[in-house]
Amino acid sequence: MDDYANIWLHRAKWAYLLLIVATLMSPVFYVMYISFNENGFGAAQYVFTTRWYGLIFSDGQLMDALRWTLGLAVTTTVLTIPMGLLAAKFYKATRAKVAVVFLLLAPLFVAPDILSAALLVFFKNVNLSFQGLGDLAGVSFMDAWFRLGFTTTVIGLIIYTIPYAFVVILITMGRYNKEQTEAARACGATGWRAFWDIEFPQIRAGVFSASAFTMILCFNEYTRTSLLKGGFDTFTTVLVSQMLNEGMSEQSYAMSSFVSFVAIALIGGIIVFTLLRSEAAARRAQPVAEPNTVPA
Amino acid sequence: MNTTTPAVQVRQLCKNYGSVQALKGVDLSIAAGEYFVLLGPSGGGKTTLLRTIGGFHKPSSGQVWLNGQEVSHLPPDKRPTSMVFQAYALFPHMTVLGNVGYGLSLAKLPKAEVRDKSMAMLEMVGLSGYENRRPHELSGGQQQRVQLARALVLGRNILLLDEPLAALDAQLRKDMCLELKHLQEKVGITFIHVTHNQEEAMTVADRIALIADGELVEQGAARDIYRTPQRRFTASFVGENNLLSGNVTAVEGDTVTVEVCGQPLAVDRRDLPVRAGETVALSIRSELVEMVSADGTAAADGCSLSGTYAESVYLGLTLSHRAALADGTEIVSRVVGESDAPDPAPGTAIRVQWKPGALRLHVN
Repeated sequence: MDDYANIWLHRAKWAYLLLIVATLMSPVFYVMYISFNENGFGAAQYVFTTRWYGLIFSDGQLMDALRWTLGLAVTTTVLTIPMGLLAAKFYKATRAKVAVVFLLLAPLFVAPDILSAALLVFFKNVNLSFQGLGDLAGVSFMDAWFRLGFTTTVIGLIIYTIPYAFVVILITMGRYNKEQTEAARACGATGWRAFWDIEFPQIRAGVFSASAFTMILCFNEYTRTSLLKGGFDTFTTVLVSQMLNEGMSEQSYAMSSFVSFVAIALIGGIIVFTLLRSEAAARRAQPVAEPNTVPA
Repeated sequence: MNTTTPAVQVRQLCKNYGSVQALKGVDLSIAAGEYFVLLGPSGGGKTTLLRTIGGFHKPSSGQVWLNGQEVSHLPPDKRPTSMVFQAYALFPHMTVLGNVGYGLSLAKLPKAEVRDKSMAMLEMVGLSGYENRRPHELSGGQQQRVQLARALVLGRNILLLDEPLAALDAQLRKDMCLELKHLQEKVGITFIHVTHNQEEAMTVADRIALIADGELVEQGAARDIYRTPQRRFTASFVGENNLLSGNVTAVEGDTVTVEVCGQPLAVDRRDLPVRAGETVALSIRSELVEMVSADGTAAADGCSLSGTYAESVYLGLTLSHRAALADGTEIVSRVVGESDAPDPAPGTAIRVQWKPGALRLHVN
């Protein structure tokens, strides 16, 4: 806030911001609230308990779904982040920036239902082609390559998450000066060493943020996973099917809350860490040395 | 290394960016231990040339030879060069000591040796006691010294400096110029320094090459470039030269007569291929021009022009008197020191004159 700004306008902006956050987070907080109710959703009487949290690990279906989701999230993150990083580096290097941005962000402009359906049809056709190829060659090892399952879901999730990873990493990369890479090369570093020693430490926060974001997106995702997953269930698909068929169980509320706690703690932790770091950097930057003098 | 082998040789070097020719067949030879400056206007190709020598650009055609070896195909980390950048090239997440020792660490030297050499180099550039600071805790000049230390500690025999003083204020730039010159004399390696600042170039250079429009316009000792520019562009870029345009009316032996604003001027031919009727350029440094009243003592024949006084500009050490010739061409006379005599009123008829031999001929 500058010296001439209206203090009430400033406060109103903060109030507006908090209202938006509260509106967005209210459903999540409500689920958390229910998860601690002994009598579950819709009960007239609220009795505080942590029992449902103890039971979530005994719900075999939910735990299986959680394991699959975790596997998908980790695999997708491990593959998406290097791809997003490479894409961001390519973007910085190329002159055709508009084309790169368009290609990388294109998946965001296609409705998830349409993209998922398109991928479903695509994978089925590719799978049939490989099966046909295998039959012709008299081999069967290609039959399952593109059968709906873990691989196809991961591909779908990569397409979904890579634009976000690209943008998050690119934002951190924006402050990086490529002359530092050249300086490292002039010191004798190979391209890889220059990246690892000099550039990566400066964009690490962006890479970690993008990783956390990708993990969370994988946990959130329903449409793509439900169409591409094949024979297993993910956390979200279990929750949704429970909701549609029999209503959510108390353990599901607890599990949803648990995942939300983890996500909020993760993102909050990154934000707090980043803020503390930039404040510390600003404090360090204050006692800048006196103007240079000629040495004796 | 054979001491007669040039440290740097550039042969017919071309660099194209699409349809833009940044370098157009540049030939250059720089001796070992020389302080060589690439001087020229912005966008002229001097940084492209330096970066091509350093391996940051691949030549479109032509060759780069360093210490007698062809290195055009090698990346920067495989060349015997180190580099100081204009600014922002220190590693912000490392301390000053970490920055200086980075290249030595890459060379897998023992940690103690890396530290000792880095500390010695910091002492050489006057930054002892700063080793634990981060780059953002240093002033601009100190940051450039760290860059110097980081480059020099590698022990390579060619140092490339890409406008290393451009981000510094005027006084600091002057101080650093002298420091660079003394440092080069101390370490004895080849320095190739890019700048668009002629004062900076004059201060440090053993030799200067003028680069403009992707071409090497002229090269020579700093004094020669300033005092006896061969090309019209050099005269226009280096120093404060008056440039006149005129027609050759006679060529007699070593003397050429050129008519400027209807007045004949005599100029040394300098073995240039010039014919009567040709349009040529003449240059004369402003400090060699004397401005006198129209009825004052006349200079030798062919060494003066009449005009009208315009104004004077006080520059501290010098005073510039500006006048206009009959065709509107501005001519400047620069004098050192101050005079109590009042300046002529604007519009007063005056005469500008010079000693024989001060005027220089340039042909296209």
